[in-house]
Amino acid sequence: MFALIKREIEDSVVYFLGAVVLSAILISVLISIGYHHTPAGSPAVAIGVLLPVIIMGMLGPCAMGAAQMYTDKTRKISSFLSTLVVTRAQILIARIITGILSILTVLVPLIVTAVILLRIFAPPVPGYGVMVFEISITIFLMGFACYCIGLQTGWNSNKIIPTMGGLVLTCTLVPLVLVKGFGLHIIVILSLLIIASLTRTWQKFMSTSL
Amino acid sequence: MSDDVIEIKNLVKYYDGRCVLDGIDLKIPQGCIYGLLGRNGIGKTTIIRILLGFESPTRGETFVFGTESPRLSARQRGRIGYVAEAHNLIQNYKVSRLVKLCKELSLDWNDEFFNHLMETFRLPAERKVRQLSIGMRAQLNIALAMAIEPQLLILDDPTLGLDTVARRHFLEMAIDLIGRDGRTILFSSHILSDVERIAERVGILVAGKVVVDCRLEELKKRIKKLRLIFPEEAPSNLHLTEVITQQNEGREMVITVANLNEQKQAVIDTSKPSSCTEIPMTLEDIFIECTKPVLSPIVSY
Repeated sequence: MFALIKREIEDSVVYFLGAVVLSAILISVLISIGYHHTPAGSPAVAIGVLLPVIIMGMLGPCAMGAAQMYTDKTRKISSFLSTLVVTRAQILIARIITGILSILTVLVPLIVTAVILLRIFAPPVPGYGVMVFEISITIFLMGFACYCIGLQTGWNSNKIIPTMGGLVLTCTLVPLVLVKGFGLHIIVILSLLIIASLTRTWQKFMSTSL
Repeated sequence: MSDDVIEIKNLVKYYDGRCVLDGIDLKIPQGCIYGLLGRNGIGKTTIIRILLGFESPTRGETFVFGTESPRLSARQRGRIGYVAEAHNLIQNYKVSRLVKLCKELSLDWNDEFFNHLMETFRLPAERKVRQLSIGMRAQLNIALAMAIEPQLLILDDPTLGLDTVARRHFLEMAIDLIGRDGRTILFSSHILSDVERIAERVGILVAGKVVVDCRLEELKKRIKKLRLIFPEEAPSNLHLTEVITQQNEGREMVITVANLNEQKQAVIDTSKPSSCTEIPMTLEDIFIECTKPVLSPIVSY
């Protein structure tokens, strides 16, 4: 399994580099906000930080998932790997783990920085901890949901309706988060979406001819 | 527990409403070199792909090492070496990277043997797979499949694209491999002289069915081509069973019969031919005769 994950990371190294760069940019912005005491809800922060975060946080994983599956399908990678000590299930699990790792590459340093900055600059309000947790989980789930949609879209890349459906679903996620806000509701909705998308991808990947 | 490494039961496969495999039953025992023959598009690759779990059958079951193909575990897969017809290697990888990956994802890796093959084939380690010629890709695929010390080697037209020297070398390797304990080889090929050289047992597919499944010597013994000369016009029908082909030209009749025995010889004698001579047949001749349309299995043993 480790060799498979390593292979997936090496093949998707561009996305990991992108994740590191994005994470570095966001950390700089967060530190800058912390030092200059810019209100988090100001238009400058919304346009300069939140929008790129949302766009990159969604498009990056979605593109990565789609690229992984599309490359696999066109280059018959699973077909080759299945002739080694590997099952289809292991190939897909390794791919999903890689997707999660790429999202965490952006999120973990960002969360750590946010927590440290809150400790330093924000007043000691007990609600902050829960808020950071909910925001982190929501962003992670959003990124992961987009990744799962990407996986599904990549495997069905030759069909227009599933591809368009995937794109529409990805675009729906932003308004959904804006409407529902961060919290338990959105966590449940995103979790259900992830389960549905993964189940469909799993079923398609396991049953399609390689 | 069955001794068969491969078992196929009533395998049926339809593609877009077209029946490709029509109730295939086949057993390949351990240590056997089995040559699967058939014309292009007859379903040889489909059988192999279903055996490996790459495709699902419309009906029927296939077993490898006693396990149903779709349920083969990673360890069982690791005991199978596979050379695909199109040599489906990861095209954008360098040879060295592909080799490293295969090494990491194998149960056993015979480094010495693999390096020997790389040297023999003169494969460049630092070139990308897609930059290799078809022949080189075939050689790399064969080397990778052989290096994992497989218990079962499945070769789908493995010598396609190889030059004569590489082909000869490959056949020698295959023979060497089978010489080791209990190794089984299933291979399909269009080059019948290759099959004749290494196969112990052959299966011939015609119209989605296995019309021949027996040992190679047995097949040669049981399928006979006779030239009959009659005093007058050759009869249109000799009333023989298991006639594969029959050609009449004036007084001459050339007939290919399966399972020729004393009874059939007696039936031939009743039509009083003035002479009856046997025409020697190579596997290629047998294959050509067998792949002409027939209605029922010819030889099963």
